[in-house]
Amino acid sequence: MPGIQDWLNCPLDIIQGYFDPHDAHWTDKVNEYFKKKLDGDDSSLSIPSVNHRSLHQLKPNSLVRFRGMVQDMYDPEFYLGVYEVEDTSTGTKMLKSGRYQDVASCLPNQKINIESRNNVTMDRQTYYCIPVPGENVWVKEAFAEKDQILSSPCSSSTSIRGKRALDTDENKEKVTGESSSATEEMMDSSEDSARRTVLSSGSSSEASQGIGVLNPIDLNFPLQGENGTACLVKIYDEKDSCKLNDVVEIIGVLSVDPSLATFPESSTNGNHSDILNPEESMDGIEEQTAHSPPPSLVPRLHVIRVTKLQHINPLLPLQLNSSDSVVAEILRDAGKIRDQLRWLLQQLLLGDDLSADYLLLHLLSNVYARRDVSALGKWSLNISGCPKSEEYTHLVHSVLEQLVTKSHLLPLTLTNLNSSRFTPKKDYSANRLKSGVLQLTDRTHVILDETVMEAGQLDTNGVQNVTALGNAISWQKVDYDFDFHKTEFPINLKFLILSEGKSMLPSDCLVRLQKKEQFDIEKLKSTIQDAMTSGNINLRQLRCYVSVLENLDYDLTQDMQKIVEQDFVDVRKDNRDNMTQLDLHNLLILARLMSLSSGETRLKCSIWERVKRMENERKARLRAADS
Amino acid sequence: MAPKDYVAEKEKCRGFLTEYYGEDDKGMKHFKYAQQLVTLAHREQVDLMIDLDDISEFDPELVESILENTQRYRKLFSDAVYDLLPDYREKESVQKDSLDVYIEHRLMMEQRIRGANPNEIRDVRNKFPPELLRRYEIYFKMPSTDKHLSIRNVKADKIGKLLTVRGIVTRCTEVKPMMTVATYTCDQCGAETYQPINSPNFMPLLLCPSEDCSKNRSGGRLYLQTRGSKFVKFQEIKIQEHSDQVPVGNIPRSMTVCARGETTRMCVPGDHVSITGVFLPLTKGGFRQMAQGLLSETYLEAHSIIKMNKAADEEMSLQELSEQEIQQIAEEDFYEKLATSIAPEIYGHEDIKKALLLMLVGGVDRSPKGMKIRGNINICLMGDPGVAKSQLLSYIDRLAPRSQYTTGRGSSGVGLTAAVMKDPVTGEMILEGGALVLADEGVCCIDEFDKMNETDRTAIHEVMEQQTISIAKAGIMTSLNARVSILAAANPAYGRYNPKKSIEHNIQLPAALLSRFDLLWLIQDKPDRENDLRLAQHITYVHQKCKQPPSQYEPLDMNLMRRYLALCKTKTPVIPVELTDYITGAYVEMRKEARTSKDTTFTSARTLLAVLRLSTALARLRLVDTVEKEDVNEAMRLMEMSKESLQGQQETTSRTQRPEDVIYSIIRDMATDGKLKTLKYNDARQGVLAKGFTNDQFEEALEAYEELNVWNVNNAKTKITFV
Repeated sequence: MPGIQDWLNCPLDIIQGYFDPHDAHWTDKVNEYFKKKLDGDDSSLSIPSVNHRSLHQLKPNSLVRFRGMVQDMYDPEFYLGVYEVEDTSTGTKMLKSGRYQDVASCLPNQKINIESRNNVTMDRQTYYCIPVPGENVWVKEAFAEKDQILSSPCSSSTSIRGKRALDTDENKEKVTGESSSATEEMMDSSEDSARRTVLSSGSSSEASQGIGVLNPIDLNFPLQGENGTACLVKIYDEKDSCKLNDVVEIIGVLSVDPSLATFPESSTNGNHSDILNPEESMDGIEEQTAHSPPPSLVPRLHVIRVTKLQHINPLLPLQLNSSDSVVAEILRDAGKIRDQLRWLLQQLLLGDDLSADYLLLHLLSNVYARRDVSALGKWSLNISGCPKSEEYTHLVHSVLEQLVTKSHLLPLTLTNLNSSRFTPKKDYSANRLKSGVLQLTDRTHVILDETVMEAGQLDTNGVQNVTALGNAISWQKVDYDFDFHKTEFPINLKFLILSEGKSMLPSDCLVRLQKKEQFDIEKLKSTIQDAMTSGNINLRQLRCYVSVLENLDYDLTQDMQKIVEQDFVDVRKDNRDNMTQLDLHNLLILARLMSLSSGETRLKCSIWERVKRMENERKARLRAADS
Repeated sequence: MAPKDYVAEKEKCRGFLTEYYGEDDKGMKHFKYAQQLVTLAHREQVDLMIDLDDISEFDPELVESILENTQRYRKLFSDAVYDLLPDYREKESVQKDSLDVYIEHRLMMEQRIRGANPNEIRDVRNKFPPELLRRYEIYFKMPSTDKHLSIRNVKADKIGKLLTVRGIVTRCTEVKPMMTVATYTCDQCGAETYQPINSPNFMPLLLCPSEDCSKNRSGGRLYLQTRGSKFVKFQEIKIQEHSDQVPVGNIPRSMTVCARGETTRMCVPGDHVSITGVFLPLTKGGFRQMAQGLLSETYLEAHSIIKMNKAADEEMSLQELSEQEIQQIAEEDFYEKLATSIAPEIYGHEDIKKALLLMLVGGVDRSPKGMKIRGNINICLMGDPGVAKSQLLSYIDRLAPRSQYTTGRGSSGVGLTAAVMKDPVTGEMILEGGALVLADEGVCCIDEFDKMNETDRTAIHEVMEQQTISIAKAGIMTSLNARVSILAAANPAYGRYNPKKSIEHNIQLPAALLSRFDLLWLIQDKPDRENDLRLAQHITYVHQKCKQPPSQYEPLDMNLMRRYLALCKTKTPVIPVELTDYITGAYVEMRKEARTSKDTTFTSARTLLAVLRLSTALARLRLVDTVEKEDVNEAMRLMEMSKESLQGQQETTSRTQRPEDVIYSIIRDMATDGKLKTLKYNDARQGVLAKGFTNDQFEEALEAYEELNVWNVNNAKTKITFV
């Protein structure tokens, strides 16, 4: 039986070993073999990650892992699932499997027999995956940290590792507290962030790839300025298991054979007869470059196992389960952690406790069901009355960045609205889906900064972008533009709108900020910095708190349902304006979030009353602001 | 599996071509293919479409074989036709192109060299590759029992097989000549060499293989002769899955189609097509084959490309409603059932939903003597913020087979109607349809109708009555069809609807525009204990169970609704003569009422048309051909309800009746019920007290009305006598 290094480094040999051309189900054995290998905790952790290492640190054809979002789905690829090789010296023929590889493995004295009758064509699905957009630095660092500790060192990259050690030392100062207490099993997707640090340190040859100007190939990231490795993922079984924008973890065989690249030059050079070449005319250079980028930039992964990720919090186990110790701890201490978080947010919101409450609940919101056109559970928040200072919104973002796993700050400047693309659009000449800002994974936090908006002219693109934003907020869906038709894709994003007056965008809830303290950006920064570093605030707990609670189930009991109904009827008896349908909807969502925020999975009377008080106070404030 | 005997198979093909016949109307034998062979021989026809349905009558096994291995059988049929053609030639064909002349020359030359030996000539002809001489193309037509595949389901096991896919054309190349036979001449001996080409790339021959050259080792080099080579028309097309075939959360897939010869120039980007063809791998030649080793591109070799218009295509997906589905719809209360199935998550508003249902069905267009009377029903929903107007619109937008959704704030008149644009590439002026044009024969939902610019709104006037859009801009004068139903939603001007004011005041829209709406509806949520409770239950239930509560009716599936509505649209009910009097009578009544009461709405000739439209829509909904009295009554009721929704509140506020008046009416009713002139005092008192009035109120009322001389109360207070 091959040892651990073998299945990590030469998985293809093992696969060929299992290959049996007469048994249609030989792949099941392969799957079973790897399942056995991967199910053990330690062994699956020792797989190096593409996210956190540069490609030259990884061995071609070895087993790697990758965490990313499915950004595009290409047409299926047809390959020779079984092919015949002929030994040119002896003339003996043998059958080989083409699964899990792009290039036929031939010894120098062997030749593929393309015409053989024994060849079998099969199809596989290609997904284009990019690193999770908006993934926050602490997530990457924590994953990188684990990758660092657990994965076996790669022999090929000693020089880089020497340099990396310095980087991680800095990281450690911040992260040690968290990762030391982290449990073993959560390190599943561990090695992911080493690569990022390599990139930022500039020692990697690929540091340039994030910069569009230097890089002729657009990696198609939804958010500008992000970097990381994108992968072309080839899926063999369960081809339809993934959906667009899913966050997946892939364990697969890395394929980086340079011959996979198609350069515009090669397509003209390798052309013998110029009389006719339909590939040139149809698939065009654009499509070829988009679909066959050099594997040094976009490696190919042949999937052994693909897992949909519920969350990407490195501090938590992959599958959330209330029996788990970390989750249990969070649920037990929910009240305490809630107070901490509320205090922090209150500081951030200039001492306004009501707004802090709303912001806290907003952090936990999550679309938990869809009913026809409406999405239940969304709670987009508009905080008006924010100080008009770019620094302030950046500060808000930087704090939230520390708490949630995925976030993005989108300044709504006119240039931003007019020039950037919000909704993804199909580009038929390159035959791929051009990404847009709103192509984000579920539960990404989007902060819309309206304080930077100025009066001016919106062009067609700008108007479309604003409409798209509005639709995304109200219906939690984005219409992808396929030129001939539009297709609706449901999203699950949390929108926080910071504005001076009431925002021009719709929102579920508008809170007027009431400054209890004088606005002083420097002082505010230092207070929050102090709080974060001094240990008053347990960041690790807060991070787990947000991730755990947003995934919690919730139940509205029959009894409470009666009380709520009665309440509604009573309030409306005097004046129907006291509570509209919409208000009731909002109250129910708010009550759900409020219960969850203290770790309760059921609505209690006290919480219902509290929520009603909150809403009344909020409305009173709005009325006061109006008059 | 034993290899097939293709010689025998070829005989079968030959047999089919010569012997197959269908029967024509007169019961005469009709040799379908034999007749076509004659025209093929005369070069009057190029393509020979072989219908697999015909073959299945002839030999079902052969169909199976053809479906499995289409390319091979195409060749067999081609060979068979080639052998048969000379026998079917009845006259010498006259059309000659350069290739004919060329071949004729070669034949004559050979003849001259070899001497006039008839047997020899036959052989000489065979020296040419058959591709060079064949001037016909063989195509197969799928058996009609086979269903369309979606592009998604075309997998590796379909390679080499005949299949039919549907899709939308996203790109196509220009039609280019593609070489099928390359002809070379040798610079030394002058001999000609032919090379049939099957792949997109080929390696040109260099050395002359002729007897002379190979014997003398003169090393003659070959030169390509364009004149002697044969080319076919060639076009590459990309198609993409229809949006309805794509599973949720997936990207539509695409496929490359190669069209040759007669199948070229059949479509342009944007067309909906159904393509039958053979799914084939594309072998890559030379360098790339070595590099990519294991991969192969695939394409569909087109046998037929049929352009489908969108409507026809939609109808195809509208399969006949099954017995069970009809059963499901056609129940006693199907009208209510259909109505509640509209936006089931929105509670209540039954009448509005009914109106929307009728809008989706639509009335019948009439055009007597060139005048055009629209059948589409326009509806305007008004209401306080937060009463689910937008949800209703959004739902209709999804339910209607063709619809456009815009908001008034987001659209200018140009965006709604049509714009003349300059094409950036050619510099030509082109018409770009706006939302209203795009929604032709559908529904255009306009949210925030009131927020639209005054100038932009005027563009809608024409659409709403004439159902066309006239353009006179930049030298383009035209009139585009915009047969749309408009569903508009508007907020009252001052936040809340004020029933004391007229509609124009409330919704700041001109009367000219408002009168074009068949129904104006004010949505209010009125306080009502019973309703409130049900509403609350509804909302909490939705939150708890993520679905709407089990109501009286199980809401119908959206797809089923769509199909049923499409079925309804095929009917064109008429209004029988008997009903005309009834309708005119009702209309006159409505006018009279409108004159006397302080009406905030308009009753005009348009109202009459609206009633007619609504009642025909109702008849359509019942799938009948004549309008009945009940339809008219229901239409009038809806009109009435829509009016009431605008005025309803007014009544409750202004007519808070004095207790005396109520008591009077109670007593009067008691009297008229018993047809009495006099009532017993005690009876009257008890009747009034039972209605919740006090004794004092009763007596006050008695006094007040006595003063008015309505009745007399005798001194003993025992009798009330009406005057």
